[in-house]
Amino acid sequence: MSSDDFDSHLRKLMAWHFGDATGSPFWLGKRATLGFDPVSDVQGATDLLRFPDISSELRSVPAGDLIPQGLADQPFRVYDSGGTTGAPKRIVDSGYRSRLLEWAHGRLVAQGVPATGNWLHLGPSGPHVIGFDVSRYAALGNGIFYTVDLDPRWVKRLLGSGRPEQAEEYIQHLLDQAETILRSQDVAVLSTTPPLLEAICAREELYELVLAKVRGIIWAGTSISAESLRLVEEVFFPGTAVAGIYGNSLMGVAPQRERLAGDEYPCVFEAFPETTRLELVDEQGKEVGYGERGRVRLHLVAEEMFLPNILERDSAVRIAPTSPGGPDGLADVQTFGTIDDVAVIEGVY
Amino acid sequence: MSVVRIDPVTGGRPVPSSDRSTLLGVTGEPLADIGQAPRLLAQAALNELRRNADGVPPGAELLVEAARLFASADLDGESIDDYVNRVTLSTGLTAATVRLAVEDLVKEIVALPATTAAELPVTDFGSGFRTRWVPRGRVFAGVMASNHPVPNATWVQAVYHGYSVLVRPGSRDPFTPRRLVAALLRAGLPADRLAFLPSSREVGEFLLRKADRGIIYGGRQAVETWQGDDSIAVRGPGSTKAFLDADLDDALLDHLVTSASFDGGTRCTNLSAVLTTRPVAEVADRLARRLSTLPVLPADHPDASLLVLDAHRAEQIRRQTAELRTELTDHSARHDAHEPFVRLENGSLLPRPLVLSADRAGHPAVGTELPFPFIVVAPWTEADGTAPLRESLVLNLLTEREDLAERALLEPTVRKVTRGTVLPWTAVPGIPHDDNYTQFLLEPKGVVSGDIDSKAGRHLAST
Repeated sequence: MSSDDFDSHLRKLMAWHFGDATGSPFWLGKRATLGFDPVSDVQGATDLLRFPDISSELRSVPAGDLIPQGLADQPFRVYDSGGTTGAPKRIVDSGYRSRLLEWAHGRLVAQGVPATGNWLHLGPSGPHVIGFDVSRYAALGNGIFYTVDLDPRWVKRLLGSGRPEQAEEYIQHLLDQAETILRSQDVAVLSTTPPLLEAICAREELYELVLAKVRGIIWAGTSISAESLRLVEEVFFPGTAVAGIYGNSLMGVAPQRERLAGDEYPCVFEAFPETTRLELVDEQGKEVGYGERGRVRLHLVAEEMFLPNILERDSAVRIAPTSPGGPDGLADVQTFGTIDDVAVIEGVY
Repeated sequence: MSVVRIDPVTGGRPVPSSDRSTLLGVTGEPLADIGQAPRLLAQAALNELRRNADGVPPGAELLVEAARLFASADLDGESIDDYVNRVTLSTGLTAATVRLAVEDLVKEIVALPATTAAELPVTDFGSGFRTRWVPRGRVFAGVMASNHPVPNATWVQAVYHGYSVLVRPGSRDPFTPRRLVAALLRAGLPADRLAFLPSSREVGEFLLRKADRGIIYGGRQAVETWQGDDSIAVRGPGSTKAFLDADLDDALLDHLVTSASFDGGTRCTNLSAVLTTRPVAEVADRLARRLSTLPVLPADHPDASLLVLDAHRAEQIRRQTAELRTELTDHSARHDAHEPFVRLENGSLLPRPLVLSADRAGHPAVGTELPFPFIVVAPWTEADGTAPLRESLVLNLLTEREDLAERALLEPTVRKVTRGTVLPWTAVPGIPHDDNYTQFLLEPKGVVSGDIDSKAGRHLAST
């Protein structure tokens, strides 16, 4: 999608989100406090910077107030962010995310992840949207969706309060369950996190099972170092398609794009161009140059959710688009040290 | 000196890691570009070592040859002088200390057969009955610190006894274990017996959890997780103390000053507390005056005797000593012509020797360890008993009192006792540094051969 197309999409959705009959109570309530008219003054992506960062309010606003009135007849679900940076933020979703995931699934398949077959999701479900995401990937290939309950907040609490042995015991409890599934069921794709992949590699029998059965591994949820990724791909799971997804509840998902000759980083992520803009910015909020590290700033402009000008917890290196007008890539994503004075604990998700 | 590229070594080969960090020296200049081993590389190395670990000792000759190569050969393009320069620049130890450490490492390695013999009891019971001491496991992890090169002898000892060994070097001194690994491989140790893994603290802890036996060096916080774990030898801060129950003549003063300042005060066995029946302020003043004569020189100067620090570490220690000064009396300030931290021309900082006094034996600062000549002097009275003498790696008794010597010896947290003007690290093979390390590595197994006296056999058989 070109920037002109995105700008015209944006103008259309400003009229939607700030229309009396269609907008959400949350944004309609904000309109008077903005100090500008979002419908007439917002003409392009750069104008999104005029909006305040409302992400902290997503911790407490009643989720019903986030639903556009124009979609009041649709069923909505609520999802939480992980809670890495304090109390979780809420989002609402009816059908948007499924469209996004269809696009993402296509990109994963393009990188060798089996298009069909069963999936095992060894990661959070419950209020965490990743569980829903992976179930959609499985469904898109007519696969069965197996899952293991993982409560990432409990792991963070254990680690944050100096109980690493209990966190380790919980991880082994998760791996026991994954092993039970893998023993008797066919699993083509495993979706999990880098720390759990490390834990799998430390259990010989489980590792052998994954190596023998699984043909695609999706990792997401925490960062991974370049050397760790090399070891996953070349030493521990050669012959298995490995693809990373950068994502979070607010933004959605940004799968790894195909690796190109000359890529300096093994893993470059791209967001859904129709609705999402990711910018990497310095401390003054100015976009950094290509090859430089910046903090992630997000704009999501979809019919169901409008999340402009949100400073994320992560930093990444800005990578030039692969084609003129295409989206910037993100590489070497890392968690930003502290946000709002809350120490970030990555845990296992 | 050019920046040296260092990578993890597994299977005898360097593994060029994509995760890199730059090691800065005490002057702030980059010294080494270090490939870090993430946990998965540690796992891969562990798998490889375990697959091939058979527990067969490599033989003393190989170790002696490795020690010779370590001290003299060009290894990975590094001469012994390059090595000394690098360690001097990265740790702030004086060049003289590093050269002496090379000699001491060689001595310790060459003495391994003698040490082993001295630390094991009689094994031959006659008539075909004997005990064989064999490794308690196959894989050993050494998590090292950077305060001094000599502790690396402990993982070499595990190699000697037949362990396959993973070494996580101290963050400021990857050079010593890297050079020892290269020397052992050059001397003919099978490549799958060793892994060298520069890595984070977390990876070090992972190795300790996964290995059969291990050793960890570090500060109180780094080692506390492993206290009480029988499979891990814990080497935390040393807290070497002297009990001074005699008038401080020149010989005793010389002895205490050397105990505190030898090797720049960087050994875990350097003296850090004096408990005394004599006037505390007078003892502290005399120690401070003598220590204040140690010269301010860069670490690579041939006459240098004091450690230097990089700016960041100096700031940490400055904060720590500033806090101690608010609670204790500073005796060095009035005797030492220098600032507490002297900035040298090359950008490094030299902490001056520091003598403080406390008003009571039970003061929490008694036993504090710092990596330069640092002594807390405190009063001791009969009512204190042996309590203030506890938690000592070495306790130096300068007293005629046999009763107290005996009670101190029976204290479980006193690890070694020296009497008179004996330096804390004085030992011969068989004298434990902290418990019997050979028996930590080895366990006894009964071996009974044929043609035994059948009556004796029945008599000794256990059920």
